Amino acid sequence: MSDAHHHTAPVSPVERRVEALKDLLTERGLVPEGYIEEVTRRYESEIGPLNGAKVVARAWIDPAYRQRLLQDGTAGIGELGFGGAEGHHLVVVENTDAVHNVIVCTLCSCYPWPVLGLPPSWYKDPPYRARMVREPRVVLSEMGCDLPASTEVRVWDSSAEVRYLVLPQRPAGTDGLSEAELAALVTRDSMIGVATL
Amino acid sequence: MTGEDLALSGLDLPRRNGEIVFEAPWQSTVFALASAVVENALGGDREPFRQQLIAAIAADPARPYWESWTAALEAVVRAL
Repeated sequence: MSDAHHHTAPVSPVERRVEALKDLLTERGLVPEGYIEEVTRRYESEIGPLNGAKVVARAWIDPAYRQRLLQDGTAGIGELGFGGAEGHHLVVVENTDAVHNVIVCTLCSCYPWPVLGLPPSWYKDPPYRARMVREPRVVLSEMGCDLPASTEVRVWDSSAEVRYLVLPQRPAGTDGLSEAELAALVTRDSMIGVATL
Repeated sequence: MTGEDLALSGLDLPRRNGEIVFEAPWQSTVFALASAVVENALGGDREPFRQQLIAAIAADPARPYWESWTAALEAVVRAL
């Protein structure tokens, strides 16, 4: 299949290992035809921060939904049709004037996939994973997120069982916006908690 | 209200929001292979892979992420 794209670019050792894994697992019947392409397509174009942005926008305009979402994140997110196999238990943590939440996975790269897609590379890097727990205010400031000294910072360490999503504060001056317009304002970083809106 | 009401301009938002998901085809391949093993060989249980990923990252923290992912998948496959 890839023959047409075979140029003279050298193949790295890790690429060779991945090819070997692919051949082995295909031989064992564990990789259905088209599976890799389908998974890649879903994560590149369907599952991404847009899902989370829709959840946030709905919570901003619908107080009853917001309450359900904060009580049971998995169910609240499921109401909008997101979740599924990678769902795990989703917990939504709400930013207020008094509390700012930020998510991390200290051990590996656990992340709320169904609503944010795959994590950005810095989320997977050792400095973020280690330092966000130790000195969150410093790391946040380095990432351009300066918080008032009076704001309490809460760091949520994701795990196999529980994934977190930050519900950012709705920006001032957005009263007249529609739900779709609000969703367009919500950035991935604000739902990780490394930015405010 | 349906999802259609919220349809935004296609892929614009994810792109603006972040970076490309995979930097090279082998990364998306090894991601999908791990997903295939979890779904089709481990009955949906992600924990064995997660434990291997934690171990692989801990064994060599400076190693690029998807290479640790590859090492973790190799370990899981060896134990199948």
